[in-house]
Amino acid sequence: MEASTTRGAANPDPRRLAGFTLRAEVGGERAAIERVRDAVTPLGLPSRRLEALQTAVGEATMNAMEHGSGYDPDKPVEVLVTATETAVSVAITDHGTGVDDRDVELPDIDAKLRGDQSPRGWGLFLVRSLVDDLEETTEGGRHTVTLTMRLEAEEAAS
Amino acid sequence: MTDTTATTFDVRDVEDVGVIDITGDITPASDDALTTAYGKASQDGARAVVLNFTGLDYMNSGGIGLLVQLLVRANRSKHSLKAFGLTDHYRQIFELTRLDEAIGIHEDEAAAVSAANAG
Repeated sequence: MEASTTRGAANPDPRRLAGFTLRAEVGGERAAIERVRDAVTPLGLPSRRLEALQTAVGEATMNAMEHGSGYDPDKPVEVLVTATETAVSVAITDHGTGVDDRDVELPDIDAKLRGDQSPRGWGLFLVRSLVDDLEETTEGGRHTVTLTMRLEAEEAAS
Repeated sequence: MTDTTATTFDVRDVEDVGVIDITGDITPASDDALTTAYGKASQDGARAVVLNFTGLDYMNSGGIGLLVQLLVRANRSKHSLKAFGLTDHYRQIFELTRLDEAIGIHEDEAAAVSAANAG
């Protein structure tokens, strides 16, 4: 998917806070959540927004490991955390090509309770709901999802 | 939050209502244990089951899917689900997913059990 959704202006000179590579394995998103939390904590994000970012990072990493890398240990997932004076961004890169938005059904609790939708399928919805900005790029067989949270907008994820 | 937390789903009887004390994580790996706990909590003609989230450490989208499965089961059996002990963050998740419209959210155990007994 080449589409991107951008609601915030990107700073041209982001500061690198952390960068690491994770094996694509079930439960592997937990390490991403913890390491991003450690990297971002000094920025002083309000706890509500920090928890929202952590959950979004976990879901995006889980998607990358499951759908992008197929839980193949030879296809690790890379995570890069950067910050500007106004925002923090987490870029998660896998070995896939992304998912076309047209193939993603918007989860609806009523439809799920009726049995018209699978009980699952909440991940991307949560990611989009919890961060201020989500951008996706696909290039050279690599798919990157970049999540951005503004530092000053306390209620933006409410 | 760590990935070594032992996850348990203990069932207690409180005023004839089955209360499931959730400790640790709710992820797809919790499926069998949560289903078993729900079976125990909903036996003996109980009309409602209460989920205690006070000890919840981590829940991902797969865990939310498990709660939806539980709701489907509860609806088929004419049971209702009540909950308490959610942090502000997981309350936000419940609101975003609209799980809060299907599972009654209460401030504490007494309120949840009272609501369960009221039908």
